Amino acid sequence: MAQLGREIAADYAGREPLLVAALKASMIFAADLSRSIPIVHHIDYVELAGYDGAATGGHQQIRLLKDLDAPIEGRDVLIVEDVVDTGLTLNYLCRTLGLRNPSSLAVATLLDRPYRRLVDELPVRYVGFTVPDELFVGYGFDLDERYRNLPDLHVLRS
Amino acid sequence: MSEVVATFFQVPSEQPHFQAFRGDTSPSFANQAELECAKILDFYGVPWQYEPTTFVLEEDADGRCLEGFTPDFYLPDQDLYVEITVMKQALVTKKNRKVRKLQERYPDVRIKLFYKRDIERLAQRYRLELAS
Repeated sequence: MAQLGREIAADYAGREPLLVAALKASMIFAADLSRSIPIVHHIDYVELAGYDGAATGGHQQIRLLKDLDAPIEGRDVLIVEDVVDTGLTLNYLCRTLGLRNPSSLAVATLLDRPYRRLVDELPVRYVGFTVPDELFVGYGFDLDERYRNLPDLHVLRS
Repeated sequence: MSEVVATFFQVPSEQPHFQAFRGDTSPSFANQAELECAKILDFYGVPWQYEPTTFVLEEDADGRCLEGFTPDFYLPDQDLYVEITVMKQALVTKKNRKVRKLQERYPDVRIKLFYKRDIERLAQRYRLELAS
């Protein structure tokens, strides 16, 4: 975490980046990352509607349940993700925020599974860990909304 | 009291109206996993086509196709083919061989194979309902 914070601080020296964390799983990572970045920065949150195949029947599309509190035009935006997997969610978020003309747009993720990517051209610049194809709980990661509060990150074996 | 004696028109049950589908004819999916993957791509607004291309893997001396391969999905924005397989391991080996052949013969074609385990992970992550 400290290493990520130093890298981000060095890259954004002289600027005031805006950290945009996607609720809910990235909230703890975002809090720790924010505290490890030793330059002035801001933080905001978004929440995206999750896919529910049975409920949507394919008729709905992803949308923001909670939008940013302020415009980001001309801002240096750093999206904070818990995990980048297929890249579908992040692709939507990048497209949506990119339309608002930020000065720059990059991504910091705690976990990465690049081998599962369906959308490749994503600005993933900071990666905590590249992980195997396992399910994780704790440190903000949930299983049916449980275990987010576990202080450490655990691999879930079925 | 009236009585229904015959069905004049039946509303299609499962096939949703896809918004990100970029094909000409309505897709006819081979299994539930393919349908659910199409719904996920649609949900995230990623343009997709269903089985748009058949690649010739082997042909005879007269150029007739002896072996072909039609990946399930094509994502035009990513220039990526996606093949979904929920087969047992023995049959997956056969499909792996086809993908290898495709990559050897068409090195510029990008393809990803999603295995049963990958689909199950997607199912868990996106709460899909997969037929077993």
